[in-house]
Amino acid sequence: MSAASTGALRILHLFPRLLGLNGESGNVEILRRRAEARGLPVEVLSYDGPDDSAVRSRFDDADLVFIGSGPVSAELIAHPLVVAIAGDLRALADDGRPVLAIGAGFQLLGQTIALESGQVLEGASVFPVATRHGGTRVVGDFVLDSPRIGPIVGFENRGSFVDVGPHGTLGRVVYGRGNSETPGEEGFWEDNLLGTHMHGPVLANNPALADSLLDTARLRRGLEYTDPAPESLRLVDESARQARATIAASPLSE
Amino acid sequence: MTVRTTAAVLVGRAVRVAARLRGGGSAIPGNIALRIDPGFLERTIAAIPDGVVAVSGSNGKSTTTNMLAAIIRAHGLKVFTNPSGGNLPQGIASALLSEVSVGGRLDADIAILEVDEGYGTRLAELLKPKTVLLLNIQIDQLNRYHEPDRVAAMLARVAATSTDGLILNREDNFLVDLDTRIPAHSGRAVSFFGGVPELVEPASHGVASADRFGDAGAKPGSRPAAVEVVALTGSRATLAIEKATLDAGTTSASAGSTDAVAGSPEDRTLIEVKLPSRGLHYALDAAGAAATARSVLGDRFRPELVSQALDSLATVYGRGEMLVVDGEQIEIIMMKNPASLQLNLDSLESAPEQVFLAVDEGTPDPSWIWDIDFSALDHVDGVTGSKAWQFATRFGYLGIPVGSVDLDVRAALKAFLALPKPATGHKVMILNYEQMMGIRKILGFKELEGGGAA
Ligand SMILES: [Zn+2]
Repeated sequence: MSAASTGALRILHLFPRLLGLNGESGNVEILRRRAEARGLPVEVLSYDGPDDSAVRSRFDDADLVFIGSGPVSAELIAHPLVVAIAGDLRALADDGRPVLAIGAGFQLLGQTIALESGQVLEGASVFPVATRHGGTRVVGDFVLDSPRIGPIVGFENRGSFVDVGPHGTLGRVVYGRGNSETPGEEGFWEDNLLGTHMHGPVLANNPALADSLLDTARLRRGLEYTDPAPESLRLVDESARQARATIAASPLSE
Repeated sequence: MTVRTTAAVLVGRAVRVAARLRGGGSAIPGNIALRIDPGFLERTIAAIPDGVVAVSGSNGKSTTTNMLAAIIRAHGLKVFTNPSGGNLPQGIASALLSEVSVGGRLDADIAILEVDEGYGTRLAELLKPKTVLLLNIQIDQLNRYHEPDRVAAMLARVAATSTDGLILNREDNFLVDLDTRIPAHSGRAVSFFGGVPELVEPASHGVASADRFGDAGAKPGSRPAAVEVVALTGSRATLAIEKATLDAGTTSASAGSTDAVAGSPEDRTLIEVKLPSRGLHYALDAAGAAATARSVLGDRFRPELVSQALDSLATVYGRGEMLVVDGEQIEIIMMKNPASLQLNLDSLESAPEQVFLAVDEGTPDPSWIWDIDFSALDHVDGVTGSKAWQFATRFGYLGIPVGSVDLDVRAALKAFLALPKPATGHKVMILNYEQMMGIRKILGFKELEGGGAA
């Protein structure tokens, strides 16, 4: 069975070149390897802008959407490109397809982004959140406690605040700063939508998050794993558990 | 000379001796001297007759500073330089302390200083470099500087302080046209270094230059090079050096005027140079050092002295270095940032039979290992340091078998060294800077006990 056949899970990777500064494409690789290890083939559709018209015409095939982060300069270039496909992205989200958005990508998929210049950009309104650039940049280990999956561990690197209103979050901040000036909650997680400033390959240390996204995606399509718990994943999941434990035991920041 | 300077020098030196005895803290004496006499660094440096050459960039600063200092010394000048890694104000002040007279005078014709890109603006104001050499802008230490654009802006400010010479890497996305993006300075000669396309293009990950978005200007490689790498075999490179004199003051009153210089082959001298190890990045470092020496020395520059200087140069601490432990060779690969790791992995001739990896908090966020192509490795024997499990996870997804993970560095190192000598090649250790220092120290103790480290 080829990956392009109807039985494959399709991941739409938005702006891998513009938004992928911190090893975040690792998230797509992890999703693909976890599904393939369980016997579910994956096809990755990469979209970098209007030149990728063949992929644009296949947006509706996407079972899962990923968008990563990047420097502010890249965020500003990506902005009109994201706005141009905002309708399609909202349609995918409304249809229950999981979206994982990180950093600048999360901001661009929100409602507004207030820049430090005072200018306010309209986002794609996939997430009901508003971003404000500014404040002291926080850089360091990041430890959360998620009511859904327990401890989540990664790296925080942000120079902005995000207002998620009354919505659900990824988890409570145990170490680090999170969405607001005073440490409290981090990111956005409701239904099929997950946004965070946990940079880099957030799924590497937190395989339960990856599996949750994959389950949402494949159950919508009725796709089955042939081998749900392969030995190869047991090994990486043990490494990830140890990585989480090491970071959570003595988190550091600048 | 002031009483304050004398006090700063004496107290700084006393602290330096004390710090040495305790084994570490090399920046502390400089810190204290600067606190007693804040003008110490600035005044001492300003008195150096031929002024300051500042070397900055993401990667290769120490190697290139070392090469440039050797080339300038080979031309008969007395050089003051800062030791590898001592590139913050305190580090430079500490280096000065060991060389100045008690009155604060330095016996040197020229200062060649490696400058940390994050402190570049402040240091440039302090040091007022006549000449600035910028090597590259790579995705480096994002935890400190966060974004390549920001690093580019910092280096542009350093470049703008140069009065006599600005030397840029034309293969770098950000540096290829940096001269056109800073205020012009009359008398500033701009020159470039680079490699022939046949070498630069096939390098499997290019020259690892950070992507530049938005205001993309000139294409990398598009500027004529004063020094060009034309051939590379193992750790030997051939450099083509423009003969046309490029005396400061006669070339470019306006930035960018070097575009007009076209090098016909007979205007170039070919020299062969020895590099610290295999790899195009080392060849580009050598080209940058040669181009800078050419810019600084003008008519006094002799290409053959470049070969002579680099031939006799000891490998800079820890980069492509070969340690001998118990009669066995161990190659050290520095994992300073994505670019250096990728280039060093790419330059491995085949998958090493025995590999050890140690990374700790000196690399606070190893996220970028997900952007690294690790296909040069077919397994890893041991992983240690506080980031070990993050690497094990990455290797797990790649299907690269990992022998053992042990957070205890000494125990992991001991187990690795106990492995029988490889049938082919030598042992390889991939280390971040902090682990390289720590492991050298561990092996050094072994030497004191008669273990025979070289
Ligand atoms: Zn961010």
